Amino acid sequence: MSDGIGARLRKPLQTRADLGAVLGGSWSGLTAAELARRPVLLEGEASVPLGDLFEVKGKPAGRIRFDGDLIKADRLGAGLAEGEVVVDGSVGDETGIGMSGGVIDVHGDAGARTGGAECDARRGMTGGELLVRGGAGPEPGTRMRRGLLVVAGDVASHSGPGMIAGTVIVFGNAGPAPGLWSKRGSIVALGLVEIPPTYRYACTYQPDHLRLTLLRLRKRYGLAVDERYASGFYRRYSGDLADLGRGEILAWTAE
Amino acid sequence: MNIRGVFIEDTFAEAFTMRVARLVITGRSSRWAREAALKLTGFATSVIGCKCEAAIERELAEDETPDGRPGFSVLLMTMSKDELPKRLIERVGQTVLTCPTTACFDGMPEAPERVGVGSALRFFGDGFQASKVVGGERFWRIPVMEGEFLVQEKFGMVKGVGGGNFLMLARSADAALEAAEAAVEAMSGRVGVILPFPGGVVRSGSKVGSRRIKSMIASTNDAFCPTLRAVTDTQLPEGVNSVLEIVINGTDAEVLAAAMRAGIDAACRDGIVAITAGNYGGKLGPHHFHLRKIMGGGAQA
Repeated sequence: MSDGIGARLRKPLQTRADLGAVLGGSWSGLTAAELARRPVLLEGEASVPLGDLFEVKGKPAGRIRFDGDLIKADRLGAGLAEGEVVVDGSVGDETGIGMSGGVIDVHGDAGARTGGAECDARRGMTGGELLVRGGAGPEPGTRMRRGLLVVAGDVASHSGPGMIAGTVIVFGNAGPAPGLWSKRGSIVALGLVEIPPTYRYACTYQPDHLRLTLLRLRKRYGLAVDERYASGFYRRYSGDLADLGRGEILAWTAE
Repeated sequence: MNIRGVFIEDTFAEAFTMRVARLVITGRSSRWAREAALKLTGFATSVIGCKCEAAIERELAEDETPDGRPGFSVLLMTMSKDELPKRLIERVGQTVLTCPTTACFDGMPEAPERVGVGSALRFFGDGFQASKVVGGERFWRIPVMEGEFLVQEKFGMVKGVGGGNFLMLARSADAALEAAEAAVEAMSGRVGVILPFPGGVVRSGSKVGSRRIKSMIASTNDAFCPTLRAVTDTQLPEGVNSVLEIVINGTDAEVLAAAMRAGIDAACRDGIVAITAGNYGGKLGPHHFHLRKIMGGGAQA
């Protein structure tokens, strides 16, 4: 069985690169040569083929693995609808923005607005799973409608602004101002979290659905999920009461 | 054919195609998962009077359940595909939703045909329910006084086989019961097999229709009733004073035949005169389990 397509950065990026068109639409059946022809926008320059920046090889199998320092690579997996994308390292801003399906697994940090929404879009993520095994910049999961965003490290601030539904799980510190303007979304905070004043405490309980999700993260992605989180107690806060108010923040508690 | 001195009659069990769903019920402890499973499978011995047939398939270890908690798998079967979702919604709604700490998952994720269960039960949440998609499957979180009840939106439905059976013709009631208990022990815990009657055993085998009341669809199997030997067209050999039956349902004919083989083998012991099976002349059910073929290692005819 093929390991799929591999894309190794030929040399460090000198300027910010917009990879938003690389994995848009149907891509999982494309050959390495076809993917290498997809355009990448370089800041202040014309677009170049992906193959100019990355050595692209392998056989299509619904997976692509990016290798190299992609800290200046933005919008990777924008609008992703299918397949599995693995990044061996950190990525820039707006990874997985507006994705509707598939999986993005970042083995490093991610920048701002990870799993977010295009500026003019009413919805952000509408499906799929996005894992960041490091930390994430501000505003991950903006206007998420459906799907799962997991940050194994800390979030800078403003987790899940304007969530419509879906789930954001933060293993580290969720940072200030999570869940603002949330309608129905779930923000799960396993570390420190500052509950906004527009959220109201409901109860402390063991959510079965969360155990189901955490065990799946452990099994499917090998994520280190401590048993105290899987079977632990969570303080449920309902909000954002400044909006529809049917969202929630589930804050793990050792009590 | 004789097995350890027990005569195996040259006949067959006649079984029917049914629709089957597998439910995985979990709980905080095995006790509470069992409580829900027992309630869900209560009063589900025969479609004749219960509209469905159901029983616990086996106990599940924590690493066999979706949420990592102790659980039980249950098979629930109906005669038609339209009946299955109705019975699932009724029974899950009244027995699992109500039971402390439990959750209910689909145990046939590979089945292409899906029926809505959580999608109907969610309305108990009166607008406060919420859903989560985990691994591509939707689950409903229904708020209840204890906390939340988690139930999968859709359950798989496949064709199964119901009505596999064999009868143990014994010299005494004690011998019949001992043989039945041994057979049930040998047949229990198998994947894809349930024994829907009390303790897996039936004492009141039935025949189609009634001699006196036309509206009755089933009445006592007088040909196998020892007390009627002198007044009916008996099928009991000399020396038989008690008969017990085991009814077996399965997810397919192969698992059902394997279970019958194990059960009949275990039932062949002192005090048993013969093993036979119930059928309707082969005209009603498409699945025929020939006892001698099964005990010779073959499957159904």
